[in-house]
Amino acid sequence: MQNRAGSSPAFGTNTLGENVLEQYFPILIFLLIGAALGIAPIVLAWIVSLKRPDAQKLAPYECGFKEFEDARLPFDVRFYLVAILFILFDLETAFFIPWSVVLRKIGSPGFWGMMIFLTLLVVGFVYEWKRGALEWE
Amino acid sequence: MLDPILQLLWIVIKILIIVLPLLGVVAYYTLAERKVIGFIQLRVGPNRVGFKGLFQPIADGLKLLTKELIFPTKSNKYLFVIAPVMAIAPSLAAWAVVPFSPHLVLSNVNAGLLYVLAMTSLGIYGVLFAGWASNSKYAIYGALRSAAQMVSYEIAMGFSLIGVLLAANSTNLSDIVMRQSGGIWHWYFIPLFPLFLVYWISAVAETNRAPFDVAEGESEIVAGFHVEYSGIMFGVFFLAEYANMLLLSILVATLFMGGWLSPFQGIPVLGALFSFVPGILWLFLKAGFFAFVYLWIRATFPRYRYDQIMRLGWKVLIPVTIVWLVVASFGVHFHIGPWFS
Amino acid sequence: MIQQVIFYLFAALLIFSGVRVVASRNPVHSALFLVLAFVAAAPLWIMAGAEFLGLVLVFVYVGAVMTLFLFVVMMLNLDEVPRSKGFVRYLPFGLIIVGLIVTLMLNVIDPSHFSLHVNAGMIVPQHHSNTKELGLMLFTQYLLPFELAGALLIVAIISAIGLAFRGPRARKVQDPSAQIAVKRNERVRLVNMEAEKKS
Repeated sequence: MQNRAGSSPAFGTNTLGENVLEQYFPILIFLLIGAALGIAPIVLAWIVSLKRPDAQKLAPYECGFKEFEDARLPFDVRFYLVAILFILFDLETAFFIPWSVVLRKIGSPGFWGMMIFLTLLVVGFVYEWKRGALEWE
Repeated sequence: MLDPILQLLWIVIKILIIVLPLLGVVAYYTLAERKVIGFIQLRVGPNRVGFKGLFQPIADGLKLLTKELIFPTKSNKYLFVIAPVMAIAPSLAAWAVVPFSPHLVLSNVNAGLLYVLAMTSLGIYGVLFAGWASNSKYAIYGALRSAAQMVSYEIAMGFSLIGVLLAANSTNLSDIVMRQSGGIWHWYFIPLFPLFLVYWISAVAETNRAPFDVAEGESEIVAGFHVEYSGIMFGVFFLAEYANMLLLSILVATLFMGGWLSPFQGIPVLGALFSFVPGILWLFLKAGFFAFVYLWIRATFPRYRYDQIMRLGWKVLIPVTIVWLVVASFGVHFHIGPWFS
Repeated sequence: MIQQVIFYLFAALLIFSGVRVVASRNPVHSALFLVLAFVAAAPLWIMAGAEFLGLVLVFVYVGAVMTLFLFVVMMLNLDEVPRSKGFVRYLPFGLIIVGLIVTLMLNVIDPSHFSLHVNAGMIVPQHHSNTKELGLMLFTQYLLPFELAGALLIVAIISAIGLAFRGPRARKVQDPSAQIAVKRNERVRLVNMEAEKKS
């Protein structure tokens, strides 16, 4: 649908702003349409469906009794630990991405620099493992 | 003044050309799931509505549309409605950068792979919002389980994508496909085989599908994060899940199986014989195969326990990806092998 | 023209959600508006030419950091905080910190960069990849800061475990592989004995 050679008359050159607009404007519209496709059926259902609420029907699901405490309970700390470790590893991924596409250009210092970085990551990972932070029962 | 409006209209038309067939495929994918699993279990599956049950998805949709929308007491109404929208919008919008054939892509973003990664990482919000807004214990447990699981497998997923970037030297999805041209032996599933497996396993886990479906393990926590959702709001979650499955199928086909490239490319007789087949058909065949594997896996494997899921994610998949990343980067840096040059 | 419209739209959204982060009394709402603030900031960064950073903002900050925030805030079930508590007391400190940050930022980023056109007007090839440019800088000129960031990350991993991990518990678990690997001889002893006879 979009010609890869681009629509600008001077082949291959563009201002950065035009580039970005050309690439990301359809995405913005797509996000809006995606959201609209989520909202539309809900609105439609709100119009056509019947509404006969009663207290029992609206009660949160439980095993046959009325709920006697708030559902939002404090939770096992290990879930937080998983989330924290995930952030750290996600950051490492963010560093890896630009590295992986320029590896052929940056030469040995860049390559070995990343290997040192990776060693640090592996040391952290092994520490995690040995401490038992990855154990679930 | 007319020109920008026409351009906008053209973009909207292009998006609808992608989205409307996609929604149709998603609807029939749900039927395919019931049929395929039915046949695997020696049943016939739905066969009453229309010819051999072909109108089943339409009937399902109409049924869900007319059911009452229930807002549980003490739930957060705004978040409760936003949650399904948050689930479906990213899973549809990620299709914007999928290259269907050499010139058929809505937006040929340079950082396409990053964009896909960003969109898939947003999927967690639908689950978290739904779990919290429902104010139901089962919903919260399901949401937490599912969030921790998605988060764990996202790391393995990100690392295996880095392997693809290493081999392809580009973040643009069309470039990644072009880099694999030259025959089936150039496709990345061969040099990056461990990463390919890890990516596919994480893809199954990311979408909370069997055997990793503890988030909605019906025998444990009823339906997980969407236990309080009724009618079409549940339907939207359902659509989002299946759209995500199809997205990941097509991504695996694009990243590891040569996208729109013909598998007979470079083979003397067969290559010429099959050259009339359009690339988009090959892509759909490959993606269709992976979509089928989703169902096959579901019909075959029993559900994992939660601790097993976390162990597999952290202690098996992540070490495997790290090792293979090192192998691949050594291959690229020291020009080892035909694939990493 | 359309660039301006999008810019002001997202800038307004960013400021609005930033204010709501501070002004909301419910911590969950604050966290959600912070998510919205990040989402609104990403298009601005992308429009300013920082394509990679904009997408990383979504997938690290929105996809990971805010998930943790929401985990904590949603599950702790914090009550709504009264609005004016300690507002006057902390105001001077807040203003001092804001002043410091603003001066720092003005020092680093010259006000002459404050325009949509500075980067956006740059002439680049169609296949200009921001990610590659960034990688070329980061892994040649800024290699040392990058390594330091790696060291910082490992410190963070260790301290996160130190803070949040309470040690393994006394667990009763089965080891399926050991169960499967059991040999008959380990469990059953076959004894030859003569049949008992009635005396």
